[in-house]
Amino acid sequence: MSILIEAGSGDSRLLMGNEAIARGALEAGISVATGYPGTPSSDIIERLAKVAKQRHLYVEWSVNEKVALEVAAAASFAGLRSLCVMKQNGVNVASDFLLHLAASGTRGGMVLVPCDDPGALSSANEGESRHFARLVEIPLLEPGDFQEAKDMITWAFELSEKIHNLVMVRSVTRLSHASGNVIFGSLPQAYRSAFFKCDGALLDPMEGPVFSFPVALKHSRQQEKLRQAVAEFEQCPFNSYSGPRGPELLIITSSVCNLYCREAIHILGIEDRVGLLELGTTWPLPPGLMQKYLSRAARILVVEEVIPFLEENVKILAAELAPQIGNKKFFGKKDGSIPSVGEINPDLVIGALCNILDIAKETRPEIYTRRADELAASGAPVREMTFCAGCPHRASFWSVHQVLQMDGRNGFVCGDIGCYSLAMLPTGFSTLKTLHAMGSGSGIASGFGKLGEFGFDQPVLAVCGDSTFFHAVLPALVNAVHHRSDITLVVLDNSGTAMTGFQPHPGLPVDAAGNEVPAIDIASVCQAMGAVVRVCDPFDLEDTRRTLFELLEQRGLKVLVLKQICALSPQKKAHKKFEMSVDAQLCIGENCGCNQLCTRIFKCPGLTWNPENNVSRIDEVICSGCGVCASICPGGAIRKEEIA
Amino acid sequence: MWVFGSNELIEDVLKKDLCIGCGACVNLCPYFKNYKGKTAMLFPCTLARGRCFAYCPKAEVDLDALATFFWNSPYEGTPLGKHTRVLMARAGEKMRKAPYQAGGTVSALITLALKEGFIDAAALTDQKDMLAVPRLVTNAEEVADCAGSKFMAAPTLAALHQGARQGYERLGVVGTPCQLTAVAQMRTNPLELQEFKDPVALTVGLFCTWAIDTRKLIPLLTECIGDACVHAMDLPPPPSETMIIDTDRDRVQIPLERVRPLIPKGCTLCVDMTSEWSDISVGVLEGRPGWNTMIVRSRVGEQLLHNACRNGYLETRPLPAQNLEHLCSAAAGKKKRALIHALKEGFLNPAGKDRRAGLRLRPEIVEKIIASDLEEPCQSS
Repeated sequence: MSILIEAGSGDSRLLMGNEAIARGALEAGISVATGYPGTPSSDIIERLAKVAKQRHLYVEWSVNEKVALEVAAAASFAGLRSLCVMKQNGVNVASDFLLHLAASGTRGGMVLVPCDDPGALSSANEGESRHFARLVEIPLLEPGDFQEAKDMITWAFELSEKIHNLVMVRSVTRLSHASGNVIFGSLPQAYRSAFFKCDGALLDPMEGPVFSFPVALKHSRQQEKLRQAVAEFEQCPFNSYSGPRGPELLIITSSVCNLYCREAIHILGIEDRVGLLELGTTWPLPPGLMQKYLSRAARILVVEEVIPFLEENVKILAAELAPQIGNKKFFGKKDGSIPSVGEINPDLVIGALCNILDIAKETRPEIYTRRADELAASGAPVREMTFCAGCPHRASFWSVHQVLQMDGRNGFVCGDIGCYSLAMLPTGFSTLKTLHAMGSGSGIASGFGKLGEFGFDQPVLAVCGDSTFFHAVLPALVNAVHHRSDITLVVLDNSGTAMTGFQPHPGLPVDAAGNEVPAIDIASVCQAMGAVVRVCDPFDLEDTRRTLFELLEQRGLKVLVLKQICALSPQKKAHKKFEMSVDAQLCIGENCGCNQLCTRIFKCPGLTWNPENNVSRIDEVICSGCGVCASICPGGAIRKEEIA
Repeated sequence: MWVFGSNELIEDVLKKDLCIGCGACVNLCPYFKNYKGKTAMLFPCTLARGRCFAYCPKAEVDLDALATFFWNSPYEGTPLGKHTRVLMARAGEKMRKAPYQAGGTVSALITLALKEGFIDAAALTDQKDMLAVPRLVTNAEEVADCAGSKFMAAPTLAALHQGARQGYERLGVVGTPCQLTAVAQMRTNPLELQEFKDPVALTVGLFCTWAIDTRKLIPLLTECIGDACVHAMDLPPPPSETMIIDTDRDRVQIPLERVRPLIPKGCTLCVDMTSEWSDISVGVLEGRPGWNTMIVRSRVGEQLLHNACRNGYLETRPLPAQNLEHLCSAAAGKKKRALIHALKEGFLNPAGKDRRAGLRLRPEIVEKIIASDLEEPCQSS
């Protein structure tokens, strides 16, 4: 049984932040949860999907974040509580609907959980979702620890139903993916039933039609809801202060920076000098509470990650409150005390505090720093990011790269978001030349493919994964077909949303909760659009290359679906198709004629190089038995034997 | 001979657009491939010395080193290169009357060489759609498929390397001067590899003034003949100013002014018109349709010629003096033009001891060739 439902009220469990959020949603009695996979957010929907049957939930991996928000909104309109989860840039995708939803308002409690990724540990950006709360004028909450992650979700649902609008609860990687003890509350026993009342008066928030018209009037009502939220924030249990009554410096912080600040204060032993205001309600800031604490100190340090969102809001409020609180000296991102890119950590906070408070304390002991530097210089080998052993993408890009080189017309590939984004690096032979948002590879390619009249004659390719295809590539493809753009799309179909953990997508016959659902065939969809479509197994290098050459000769939209299941997928993992071996006699090694093609260029982690006897070797533990390296070995030294 | 690696090859040849796509670097390793007449490097190689550079006919070709290796004497720069005899020739009664470019001499020589065991396989140039493609043939019946001039640079040597990899130890090759220069370099074992065994038993050279860039020719052909199928191509000697294309529908003439811009830059630096690094070389005999000019250069060439005539594969006659004179003049002209161009481009004997050359040749020979009066009658040795 899932940890989320096995324990009862009052029990304490070690939960990952994302699990705490999921438990919070269960305690709030949600009926519907939706999302699109994206690190660091994915675990929330996954955990809820696992208890969907027991807790009578509808959980879905939606085709993209906008649709996820729409599906969750429908539940709210029908009076149910719903949760919608996505990573930071997912909010960009959902933002058009988000703007309108915030204006139309909600009924059943509805909470949007974006999980941001400061430092871009698993992202192509370190974008901020917090701005959307201010942009579309909805309340924003930010849990500062694991217990809050759970409790704040429940509180957010209550708030949502009080103000009839969506509430955003924002997490970050170090909260979503770290773990801490959480004391459980109780799960509701009763389930709500769904009905969409829509025949009431135009402006009736609970029974009228749901839209943003008349816009100005609805907008003013929305702002009234926000004022209601601020009133709640003034009393909110998730804002707390610790420290002396009149500190030398007031630190204002939120989210995981709470933990970093606490640790920094503790390490420096300045509990009696510094006050820490931990804010859980970060937009709009409650002015009464802020006035109370801002009055206490002349100097203010704002600690948060990436963009100075909190810092700017505090400064605006401080300007408004100046007659009551006096002039303040601010420290934060604007003065450089705290970096405005990447993650924050206790060392950075210690550094800022030492500077501001004139504390001569080494962040690290000198001996430690010296030893660390010594070890770093001689230490661990550089490890490039790489595709896994047996990854179909390595084989796919091997062929794509070769074909483009041989074609010799300066063709290039527009990249997209997935494991295959790594093809911008040597592991994918540096094949990708653009990389932006989900689906952007195809959109950009569609544009390149129309530049012929300006003398542009380079072959244009785009790649996308199977999940990305449905998420955001479809409109770009329609655009390309409709405008006769000359592009070749290579769909790297590995049968799942592999990068985020094999979540199902519309191309698969199963949904988030394991129910059988109709699968949508990518090749058929492209064919119906009028594209020339071919399907190959990327492990068949010869066939893939031949097909690509054939497609590059044609005009218009061409689609090559390279279908081969991910090496780490549960169906494939630990099932080797081939037993691989290297015939040392035939291995050309680093001599002219090979020069370590398999371990220097192809670089599957399943192959290792023995410099002593100048031969390659199969690492049987890592090799997944895909057999592709046998096709690339120029000496015929790599042998494959089918495992019965 | 100076030997470098693929990085220098890319720098000196591919990036300078001097590659003529001969195939000398193709099929030796996984890094160089030729597609539609153009050679490309697929992945970077880090070796400081490689066969790709060593064999390339546009990178560090030392004519003296080659002459010393094959002729045991320095390179003299005579118009036709080292040879024993120049004759006119055509296919004999044993050969079927295929639609040869001229006299069918090359087809006859290779057919005989395969039949009599001079060679086990031959690297030839076939035509597929509009492309000239390498083909390794192992029996005499296949030779006729490859008859006819292609006028396009073709990676023929890829087939030679393929044959060597397949273990053939007596390979024949029919190639243009650049291709046979590459083969000559290959036979000297420039990397001094211990396991090296010369797999080449016969080299048949083709006369060549210049070739046409395949990638540029195809659009021109498509424009001029549409979707018709090419049967034969010809470049009649001056004063003709057209290229003739015979298709399955009709004969199309393309003005040479449209063809000349398609000549690869590498051809303008080539000093060899008659495939000097061959056992026998063959060209069209001007003014005598159905006959070839044939230059016999080596003992192997003489032996092959002897057997070919004796067994009815070839028929020869002495070459009229006027034709010989004309041939020498054309060959000397190509040498002179190429050397002047090569000096200007820094391709020949560059100053500075660390600078890599495309071609090396004793300065006095360069001077002699450039100073030569093309009208001067040349002597056949």
